[in-house]
Amino acid sequence: MTGAQLSHIAMEIGVVLLSNGAETYRVEESMQRICMAMGARNAEIFVVPTTIIMGITLANGDHMTRTHRIHKRGIDLMKVEYINSLSRQVCYEDLSYDDVLTELHRINSAPPYPYFLQVLALGFVSLMFTLFFGGNFQASCIGLVIGIGIKLQMDVMTRFETNIFFINIVGGFIAATIALGATGLGLTSQMDAIIIGSIMTLVPGLAITNSIRDIIAGDYLSGLTKGIEALLIGTGIATGVGIPLGLLSAFGGM
Amino acid sequence: MMAFIAPCLYAFGGSFAFALVFNIPKNKLLFSAIGGFLGQLTYVLFQFIIASDVALYFLATITISFYAEMMARVTKTPTTLYLAVALIPLVPGGGVYYTMLYLLGGSIDLGITTGLHTLGISGALAMGIVLVSSSINLIRKVMLSGRRKYKRPAVPWKK
Repeated sequence: MTGAQLSHIAMEIGVVLLSNGAETYRVEESMQRICMAMGARNAEIFVVPTTIIMGITLANGDHMTRTHRIHKRGIDLMKVEYINSLSRQVCYEDLSYDDVLTELHRINSAPPYPYFLQVLALGFVSLMFTLFFGGNFQASCIGLVIGIGIKLQMDVMTRFETNIFFINIVGGFIAATIALGATGLGLTSQMDAIIIGSIMTLVPGLAITNSIRDIIAGDYLSGLTKGIEALLIGTGIATGVGIPLGLLSAFGGM
Repeated sequence: MMAFIAPCLYAFGGSFAFALVFNIPKNKLLFSAIGGFLGQLTYVLFQFIIASDVALYFLATITISFYAEMMARVTKTPTTLYLAVALIPLVPGGGVYYTMLYLLGGSIDLGITTGLHTLGISGALAMGIVLVSSSINLIRKVMLSGRRKYKRPAVPWKK
């Protein structure tokens, strides 16, 4: 395997891992092990949530550096899991360059769950957490509607590359507005349970988990970045929910 | 009785749906959702013994992290897959909401109290994960010490 091929495979694997929600140390460790297993003499990898920098010393003594900027980050743990087992395979077995590329392509083009299922799932999250926070059946149905609405809004805004802070403000706004409207129409009396339950769909669970795990692993830079991301998302949600509630109390509605 | 089991079932349902949102592979959906159930079960059971909210969250997180680390080792899967999903029912969404509501309504004292309480819960979550992950990592390192973990192919310069 040539140096170019080696660095290509390692970088591709790192990029897929990082842009789909893996922890920083997992990306660094996977890439390093792949480089070493494929015959590099030394590999130094530096990863932050938006960039990968990789320096390799090849078997013949040549040096090589590659960087990759990550622009789009999402959450797709299926890819993380499959790439994780692929990198294990690369380390233990002798796979050829073409084999790895075929496998990478297969993982990258693996279909996610059907779209209607994803929308329903987020609606269901909202429904379940409305019940969880003490809502009754009627309240949970309104939660379902809000969840579906938030999912559609998030997807539309993500397509236009809106920043994550604004997406969550609008999400919180939708949740509070629909819950207020339903209360105003007399459909339910459990506005708090509905709002709390439906903003759980926006909660940055993966960012919180990964931030803590990164800090444990010693990647303070990535850990703090993700922690700030989680904090910003939380503030965004609170702001979004606060706007309609604040307006209402300002105009003496409640 | 139902009042104690119901939150666990709701947490299970919520975690399961979140597993779908995170696009977790089909064969692991159920196992990751069980983590959410276990966490809430711990919370509900220890409610009878411990009065402190923060301590309860801490215990629930320890259960979840332990379950996630175990499952990750058994199924050779990243721990995050189980941890992130199971942790979501414990995220203090209600605390953030009420803090915002009190501050908005001008009750600064209540807002600060609730806010600090929420912060305490978040800290409990973080510390729970840190404790379990670090202990398990330490045990794994001790057990693995002296054993090479991956094969290195024959390299030309060593001949």
